[in-house]
Amino acid sequence: MAALSFSASAGEALVLGLATGPVCLATCGPVVVPWIMVQPQGVRGHSRQLLLFLAARLAGYLVFACAAWLVGSAIPHSWTGRSWLMGGIQILLAAALVVYAAGWPHRRCAVAKTTANLVQIGEAPVTKRSGALALGFLTGINLCPPFLVAGVRAAQLAHLSAALLFFFCFFAGTAVWFIPFLSLGFLKRTPAVVAVARMVAVLLAFWYGFSGVSILIERTFHG
Amino acid sequence: MASRSSALVRPPAFRGIGRSILLTLPMALWSLLIFTPSFRQAGRNQHIGAAAVILFMTALFFLMMRTGETYRWRRIFFVALGFLFPVGFIAALVAERGTMSIPISRMVSGDTPFCFMVTPSIILPAAFARTVIFPGSILPTASNPHSIAIMIGLWFALTLVMGKAWCSYACFFGGIEEGFAAIAKRRRLHRFVTRFGPQLRLIPWAILIFVVLLSAAIFEPVYCMWLCPFKAVTEFPAVRNVETAIQMGVFVALFVGLVVVLPYLTKKRTQCGFFCPFGAFQSLFNKINLFEIRFNREKCVDCGLCQTSCPTVALSKDSVREGKTLLNCMKCGACVDACKKNAAVWHLKGTPVAAKPERARLLFLYGTWALATMFGGSVLANGVHTLIGFLPLK
Repeated sequence: MAALSFSASAGEALVLGLATGPVCLATCGPVVVPWIMVQPQGVRGHSRQLLLFLAARLAGYLVFACAAWLVGSAIPHSWTGRSWLMGGIQILLAAALVVYAAGWPHRRCAVAKTTANLVQIGEAPVTKRSGALALGFLTGINLCPPFLVAGVRAAQLAHLSAALLFFFCFFAGTAVWFIPFLSLGFLKRTPAVVAVARMVAVLLAFWYGFSGVSILIERTFHG
Repeated sequence: MASRSSALVRPPAFRGIGRSILLTLPMALWSLLIFTPSFRQAGRNQHIGAAAVILFMTALFFLMMRTGETYRWRRIFFVALGFLFPVGFIAALVAERGTMSIPISRMVSGDTPFCFMVTPSIILPAAFARTVIFPGSILPTASNPHSIAIMIGLWFALTLVMGKAWCSYACFFGGIEEGFAAIAKRRRLHRFVTRFGPQLRLIPWAILIFVVLLSAAIFEPVYCMWLCPFKAVTEFPAVRNVETAIQMGVFVALFVGLVVVLPYLTKKRTQCGFFCPFGAFQSLFNKINLFEIRFNREKCVDCGLCQTSCPTVALSKDSVREGKTLLNCMKCGACVDACKKNAAVWHLKGTPVAAKPERARLLFLYGTWALATMFGGSVLANGVHTLIGFLPLK
C-alpha cells in the first residue's frame, strides 16, 4: 500500500513537471540561453554544460524539498520570509550573471574563432563549471509558480524521503523541456555571438537586480 | 567640404520628364485608388488631407524617377510620417479620453491598440501557453480597430515585400529621429560611432533576445512596459506609483537620448541602429527578401563614403570588400546615392550584380512605395487633417 502511494505520488510529480514544464522553460530560459550561447560550438559540449546546470538545479530543488517538508506548507503560502528569500535570490542571480558575463569574452573570443574552423590555435579552452553550477542552483531555488505548487504538495507528504522523491520526479518532468536548448549548440560561435550573449546577461542582471531590490524595498516599507 | 557635397550630388536630370511622368503614372493611379474612399467621407478636412497625400506621394515618386536618387525623397516622406503620426494619434487619444495615459479599464477590456513593436515578444508565450501577452483584442472591435490580427497581418504582408526596408519606409517611429539627424549641419561624435559602431550594432540583438526571453518568463510585454522610447510621444500607463514613475522616466530618457540628442549629434538613426529590438527582428527577413544593396567591386575604390552615409552603420569595411551590406541594412538608398563611382547598386537576388541596377531599383520602389502609400499614406492623411482641424478656418 505504501509502495503504491509512493509510486502514485512520483507519477503525480512527473506529470506535474511535464505539465508545468513550459513555465519552467520560460523562467529558466533567460539564464540558460546566454550561458549556453557562450559555450564553444557543438552539441556534446552543450549537453555537458546543460547536465551540470540541471544537476545544480536538482540540488536546489532537493534543498527546497527538505525546507518545504520541515517547515510545512507555510513556505509557499504565507511565510513572512518568502519576500526576503525571493529578493535575495534575484540579487544573487544578478550578481552571478554580472560575474560570469564579465569573464566570458576574455576566455571565449579566441575559442569562438578557432572552433568555427575546427582549428585549435593557442591554449585549449578552459571550461568553467562553476558558472553552470551557480546559475543552475540559483534558478533551482528561485520560487517560480510551478515550483510553489510542487512545494505545497511536497509539504503535505508524510516522509522527508517522499518529499525528496516528489521533487526529483517533478524535476525529471520539467527537465525534458530543456532539451530544445541543445539546438543552440548548432549556432555558429563568432565574437559577435559571444558579445551579444554577454550583453543579454548584463541586461538580465539589471532586471533581476532591479526586481530583487524592488521586492526588498516593498517588503521593508510596506510589510 | 565642397568635394563631399559635390560627391553627393548626382546629375540633375537622370531621366527625362516624359519618361519620369510615364513611370510615375502607375503610382499616381494607385494613390488615387487608395484614397478614393476618403473622398466619400463627409469631412472637408479629410478631403484636403487625402488630396495632399496623393500629391505628396506622387510628387516624391516622380522626383525619385527624375533624379535617380532614392534617399533624399524617401527621407522627406519618412520624416513627415514620423512627425505626423504622433499628431494624429495624440489628438485622437485626447479627443477620446482627455489624456495620453492608458486607463487600467482600457487595458482590462483589451482596447489598447496593438503596436507592431511587440510582435517578437508575443511569439513564445503564444506558442507555449497559447496566450497573447498584450492588453489588446485579437480581432477588431468597434472601439479598437487596430487589433492584434489586423496589425500582425499588415506587418507580415509589408515585410514579405520590403524585408528590413520596413524600417525606412513603413515604421511610423523612425522618421522622428531621421528628422533630428537631418537638422545638424555636421556630425559630431563621428569618431565615437566609427570606433564603437561594430559593438553598438550588436545591442539591438541583445535587447531582442532579452525582451523575448523575459517577456516569456514574466508574461508581460517587457519592451512596451519598460523600454519603448516612443511611449513618450504616444500612450503610456498612467503614473500611479513609484514603478510607473520609473517607467515613464525610462521612456522619456530613452526618447530624449536616442531619438533627439544622439541623432542630432551623430547624424545617425541611433535608436534604430543601436537599440531597436524590432529592427533586429526585422533584419532576419532580409534573408528571404528579394531585394538588396550590393557593391560592384570592379568600380569600388574603397573611399568609405558609403559607410559614412549609412544612417544605421549597416556597412563595414569587410562587408563592402565582400560586395555586401550587413544583415541590418534597411535599404534606404543612402549609400547608393552617396557613391560617386556608382559602385553601390540596387540588386535583385538571383541576377548578376550590377547587370541592371536601375531595373532592380524600380521593381523595389514600385512594391515598396505602393505599400508605403497605403500604410504610411493613411497615417499622413490622418495627421494632415488633424493639423488642419487646429487651424482657425471656417
